[in-house]
Amino acid sequence: MIEPAVSVQNLTKIFPIPFRRTKLVAVRGLNLEVASGQVYGLLGPNGSGKSTTLKIILGLISPTTGGSKIFGRDSREVRSREAVGFLPENPYFYKYLTGEETLRFYGKLCGIRGHELRTRTDELLDLVGLRDARARRLGGYSKGMLQRIGLAQALVQEPKLLVLDEPTAGVDPAGSSEIRDLILDLKRRGITVLLSSHLLAQVQEICDRVGILAHGVLVREGRVEDLLAIENQTELILENATPELLAQITTLLGRSNARLVAQRQPQTTLERLFLEATSAPPHQE
Amino acid sequence: MKTPGHRPFSLSRVAAITGNTFTELVRLKIFYFLLLFALLLIGNSAFMASLSFQQEFQVLKDVSLGAMSIFTSLLAIVATAQLLPRDVEDRTIYTILAKPVRRYEYLLGKLAGVLLLLAISLLAMSALFLAVLFIREHMLINATLRETAGLRPAQVQEAVRSLQASAFNANLLPGIVIIYLKASLLASLTLFISTFATSNIFTIVVMVFIYFIGHLQSTAREYWLQQHGGGWLAKTFVALVTLAFPDLQLFNLIDDIVAGTAIPMAFFAQTAVLGCVYTSIYFFFAWVAFHGKEL
Repeated sequence: MIEPAVSVQNLTKIFPIPFRRTKLVAVRGLNLEVASGQVYGLLGPNGSGKSTTLKIILGLISPTTGGSKIFGRDSREVRSREAVGFLPENPYFYKYLTGEETLRFYGKLCGIRGHELRTRTDELLDLVGLRDARARRLGGYSKGMLQRIGLAQALVQEPKLLVLDEPTAGVDPAGSSEIRDLILDLKRRGITVLLSSHLLAQVQEICDRVGILAHGVLVREGRVEDLLAIENQTELILENATPELLAQITTLLGRSNARLVAQRQPQTTLERLFLEATSAPPHQE
Repeated sequence: MKTPGHRPFSLSRVAAITGNTFTELVRLKIFYFLLLFALLLIGNSAFMASLSFQQEFQVLKDVSLGAMSIFTSLLAIVATAQLLPRDVEDRTIYTILAKPVRRYEYLLGKLAGVLLLLAISLLAMSALFLAVLFIREHMLINATLRETAGLRPAQVQEAVRSLQASAFNANLLPGIVIIYLKASLLASLTLFISTFATSNIFTIVVMVFIYFIGHLQSTAREYWLQQHGGGWLAKTFVALVTLAFPDLQLFNLIDDIVAGTAIPMAFFAQTAVLGCVYTSIYFFFAWVAFHGKEL
């Protein structure tokens, strides 16, 4: 049997509130499984327990009850982190280091050194498109560049699992689109991705499976298509349909028990429109 | 990619964090305080023209060693206090501990980075101090040779020997080592406080209190034991106070060095071991506090 990349069993996390008798239940009885090779989206509003769940999976905080495993190894074991890369929400990193030094530092933490480290650093800088900025200190990086160097450090030891907490938070649509393409590229390479986000359109586009958390409880879970499908409806998108053809279809519909719910011209997404408008080179005067 | 099997302790992981901490402190331009030290030495020399050579060397040693002690102590506290809170605030700590890095390796790397910075700073200050001492010694020897040109060679040699004895003595080096150990102890204690402190200002304020209490406690302890007798309860209380507030006066050998009193090897070794033990105990406390900390 293939070990799931992440398995969370009956996980509860309660935070005591200092100087008060009340406690905050951040996650309650969570059961979750992420299969190897999947892109899994953990959704939920702020304070729903997404980041707490990710931190428990990474062994950064301890569960009150229950537990979590990474490829069959308890998350509290340091060894479980050999297979994981993590990008926290809005990371700053060490702004006095250059992009290259940052990757070398994280590589050394994973036991990589010498020629192997140099090669890996070059590969990652190419992968995230920061080769030209390798000698610049992170203090001068834009938000999108910081996210990309963050993604590169998470990948430094070629992990089998990538955990991303709000990977596109605060990034402009172009940067966000690049990160999305990178995630899809990693998926093609067989890397499992577990991400939290509240950018629902993006999650819908890249995730195989999603779980929705509310008040620390998993309220929905499943494949994206299954969760979004409206079972008793069918969508037809026609190209170059003449008014006569549309009239015939309407007549046919009138003779059947089916009801036309909506008829409209499909629209592009605002994101696609933005990217098309901003990716063209500037006009020469 | 082949990564080596995980070991419970890896020197290369610690070295990576040490190197990074050292780079962080250097790039924060923390070495600028060395300029202040140089200015202090130059300024000090300007006021010594009217003194005899014995007095001049005494003042030079007193001011220089005193400044070295205060600067390294201050540097140990200020540099260490901001390391952990900054990593937590910037969330860089998550990216480090999400790698196969143990928490004691992280702490050890941070402390070692500060200790490396302290060592280099103290070496630079010592070099500057010894250079000034050497230059003044030679300037005064030349002046003495000019002044004693008509005297017998034995008298001239005696004058030069007396001058040389006032300038450099072998006590200076163990004295500088003890200054370093005191700063190491303070860095380790600051690291411990910063594992549970709410801000680096809080850590610095607490450490300044500990610094003053540490210097005053031996006098207070003697007075207290005189008043309350030397029963086991009193001794236990004193031992607990000494653990919480290290007796920093034990690490103050400047008066002996300035007075030219010889520092016995056994006393130096005892003080050095005490410094290492204090540093290790506070590091252990820091690890206990940080081990289960919810990040």
